[in-house]
Amino acid sequence: MGVIVKAQSLTKQYANVLAVDHIDLEVFEGEIFGLLGPNGAGKTTTIRMLTGQTKPTSGTATVANYDIIHEATKAKQQMGVIPDISNVYEEMSAWDNLIFAAQLYGVPKMAREKRAKDLLELFGLYERCKDRVVDFSRGMKRRLTIAAALIHKPKLLFLDEPTTGLDVQSLRMIRSLIKELNEDGVTVFLTTHYIEEADQLCQRIAIINKGKIVTVDSPEKLKASIEKRQVIEVSFTMSHDLEDKLKGLSCVKDVAILGDKYRLHVEEASEAVPSLVDFARKNSLKIISINTLKPSLEDAFVKLTGLSPEFMKTEKEPVKKKEE
Amino acid sequence: MIETLKGNVLKAVHIAEKDAKIYFFKGPNISFGLLFPAIIYLAFSVGRTAEASVIIPGLVAMSSLFGAGAIESIALPLERAKGTFDRLLAAPISLTTIIVGKALGGFFFGIFLSIGYMLITLLLPGAVIANPFLFASGIVLSALTFSALGVCISTPFRDVPQAMPPATLIRVAMVFLGGVFIPISAMPSIIQFIASLLPVTYAVDMLRQATTGNIILQSIVIDVAALTLFSLIFFAVAVRILKRTLH
Repeated sequence: MGVIVKAQSLTKQYANVLAVDHIDLEVFEGEIFGLLGPNGAGKTTTIRMLTGQTKPTSGTATVANYDIIHEATKAKQQMGVIPDISNVYEEMSAWDNLIFAAQLYGVPKMAREKRAKDLLELFGLYERCKDRVVDFSRGMKRRLTIAAALIHKPKLLFLDEPTTGLDVQSLRMIRSLIKELNEDGVTVFLTTHYIEEADQLCQRIAIINKGKIVTVDSPEKLKASIEKRQVIEVSFTMSHDLEDKLKGLSCVKDVAILGDKYRLHVEEASEAVPSLVDFARKNSLKIISINTLKPSLEDAFVKLTGLSPEFMKTEKEPVKKKEE
Repeated sequence: MIETLKGNVLKAVHIAEKDAKIYFFKGPNISFGLLFPAIIYLAFSVGRTAEASVIIPGLVAMSSLFGAGAIESIALPLERAKGTFDRLLAAPISLTTIIVGKALGGFFFGIFLSIGYMLITLLLPGAVIANPFLFASGIVLSALTFSALGVCISTPFRDVPQAMPPATLIRVAMVFLGGVFIPISAMPSIIQFIASLLPVTYAVDMLRQATTGNIILQSIVIDVAALTLFSLIFFAVAVRILKRTLH
């Protein structure tokens, strides 16, 4: 597999903020590559640099072997870009939006109408193709934004937070569509702050935090990298205020609360289980359930970044003007 | 090379078409582009008598100044605020093509308004345009210059309320200093110098000579050269500002 996106020491400095700090990346043709990190980690800035929407302060990047600064137009012709906020023209119809997108990418007149019709049908929007987009739901606008990015049949698709703020139905549809596009040969570069999404979709993941790439690997390898620690999930009859007590057990290395359960990172599960039974007895508690688990991508993320999984669930501030 | 140029021109035209679809009949465009010139002119001319040969070039130049720049004062900042401008930045188009496309929308709107005002003013008693070809050239060159000016003024702003006050202030100042109401020769020398730095001065002069038929060739050459130069400068500055905003 050839390299389709390559970034070397890519850096973006905004006034006093170092948004992206000398990152190196390689994305291979045909893969779904995820850039996973919390809000403010530098994901959107990275995607904006790679798609030629903002200039890097330093470093270089190529897309399909075209330099994104010196051969920006050729590089952009190879890619479709889906920003984090749907940015179709609300005053125009869905049909006019797709035709305009096709015109910008130089799709010939005969081909553009057929392509627009096919995409509107694929995304379930054909029935409303003459309606103004302002009346569309958020999920419909998102689908139209994706359709517009596919109008010129790009070989590479950049998606910035593709499912943020969507209802479950639209979310499932878009995740399924990303998989289908990838099966059809489209390379996908997506950013997300949903660990589960990265785990489900991506063949390789780069974890980014504070503008720096922490690690790049496949989800399974990332999980395996922390497998030397084992995980136990346990729930007790009285399950509050036990975190500090559980941390006091010598076999327990870390504790996270998940609803009414405690997720314990331990060195050896076979030694930890008797300790937990003993712990319950001493504290007059009954164990409701106890399970040993393989480490999840979330566990790997927490270990590699030191961030709480709850922090990842923080959504971006809504941009009312953009969404209207 | 020719194919690339043709492709870029087509893309600029498509951007202009899109802007026309969305913005031609927006409220602020109608009020600033269509009504504002008439209101300013009426406010100034109440109680005064002016000949058609003064009213025609003045109103037509002013309608072009406000009309050609009105769309971009709205479109550019609004699209940046909504994020739709990113569609253009992400597409395989040069920044120059984007700026030309944006200006083209204003250019056509400016011509449309200028012709409208010309037809209305031709209903005035004694109104006649002595040299229609020169007048048409004046309309085209004025719309080109003022649409480039509109793009240049609005490119740095990311929201309409930010963009409108400076855009309006600059245009109103140009109207009063550029000989739309009062002949430049009747102004103090310092104002005459400032007027020589304003594109509207050359637009009014060209349209006035075309209206009256009192044509001084050297003066027309200066008007054409000045308006062309102003257009190129405004385009170049707009592209530079846009480039800077990407940093």
